[in-house]
Amino acid sequence: MSGLIAVLDYGIGNLRSAEKALVHLGAEARLVTDPDEAAAAAGVVLPGVGAFGRCAEALRSTGLDVVALDAVAAGKPFLGICVGFQLLYEGSEEAPGAAGLGVLAGTVRALGAGVKHPQMQWNRLVRRRGRDSRLLQSLPESPWVYFVHSYAPEVTDDVVATCDYGGEVVAAAERGPVWGTQFHPEKSGARGLAILANFVAACAPARPGR
Amino acid sequence: MDLLPAVDLKDGAAVRLVQGDFGRSHDYGDPVALARRYVEGGARWVHVVDLDAARSGVARNRDRVLDIVRAVAVPVQVGGGVRTLADADALLDAGVARVVVGTAAVTDPPFLVALAARHPGRVAVGLDHRGHGAEVSVAGWEEGGGVSLDEVLSRLEEVDLAAVVVTAIERDGMLQGPDTAGLVQVLGRTRHPVVASGGVRSAEDLRALAGLRAGGRGLAGAIVGKALVDGVLGIEEAVRACAASG
Repeated sequence: MSGLIAVLDYGIGNLRSAEKALVHLGAEARLVTDPDEAAAAAGVVLPGVGAFGRCAEALRSTGLDVVALDAVAAGKPFLGICVGFQLLYEGSEEAPGAAGLGVLAGTVRALGAGVKHPQMQWNRLVRRRGRDSRLLQSLPESPWVYFVHSYAPEVTDDVVATCDYGGEVVAAAERGPVWGTQFHPEKSGARGLAILANFVAACAPARPGR
Repeated sequence: MDLLPAVDLKDGAAVRLVQGDFGRSHDYGDPVALARRYVEGGARWVHVVDLDAARSGVARNRDRVLDIVRAVAVPVQVGGGVRTLADADALLDAGVARVVVGTAAVTDPPFLVALAARHPGRVAVGLDHRGHGAEVSVAGWEEGGGVSLDEVLSRLEEVDLAAVVVTAIERDGMLQGPDTAGLVQVLGRTRHPVVASGGVRSAEDLRALAGLRAGGRGLAGAIVGKALVDGVLGIEEAVRACAASG
């Protein structure tokens, strides 16, 4: 297995920032469209922008949904970002007809009434009490990160951090090696890069002799 | 209050105009390196202006803009030459966090309404003025827009905007200190987040901006250009000053 981190490129645009950030951290990361190449990777990043329904459809039509599910089944480090995070769930209120990957239990819901949609701003993470997080390892208690979204997954046991936006909004979740962030770590400055560095470390193949 | 260090682009290079005059500019070299330096210094936003596009409407520096977007791990706000839905789509779909429209917001209100509806929370309006109550100046500052700032602010109340960026032209690139009295008036006349631009020369100026209050709220951000590129004000010091008092 190579040390490649495959950033799944399923034709929805604007995935370069995540790739660039990973490369900046010294990872061998690139956009991957070929399912075989993605299947050989050490870790997988599923980005996503725009609407849940359109992303779910694009992921399916490129065959990369199977790659994502196989990577999860193989226990590989997996990071979903923004809509890519939402795709890990069973479905979304935004597109009732479109199925998510169902890797994480729960559905994605609209942000509360009474706040501006989308949340498009820097906001502070609030960690879930009693919940260890590898994603947030070595970060401050309440780092500022950058959000752009109108929907977020519901609160489940997998959630490791939320933010306050007209109430508690899910910001990050982990289930074993499957991690996801509703915010954009690749646009969240030094703290965001630290989160991505945690993912890169999780993807590093075990060295001989260890 | 967020600091938004400015990277102004002309002919692919980072420059600063003096009082908006295309004949008086200083060249500061590679815009990507400049943006990176600001982010490494702690900036959580970068404000990029395509000066050629602002004047001509042709996005000649778009590749450079997108180079910056890809090079920095913070959101990038872009202004200059955003006059059609296609201009905005091209930037926002390529990873720009929000666009600042100027000319079009003043001369074509239905366009602004359509744009804000299409990209909710990602459109800011840039208003350049010469003193409070004066005409809002548009088209890269060289022709007057013929509408008072108060009039424009009242028209914008119904639109879903990310921010209003207020620039006092006489102060831009002049290091004379920001127009705090004018900004307090603007804060009291709009419900939108207000970003101040122009005139900042020191950490003291930024602390003054961060401390401004009207109607129970303060400025959302401050754009700083010349003081940072000239090195009169250090980026770390500027970031600290913005964080100090809110």
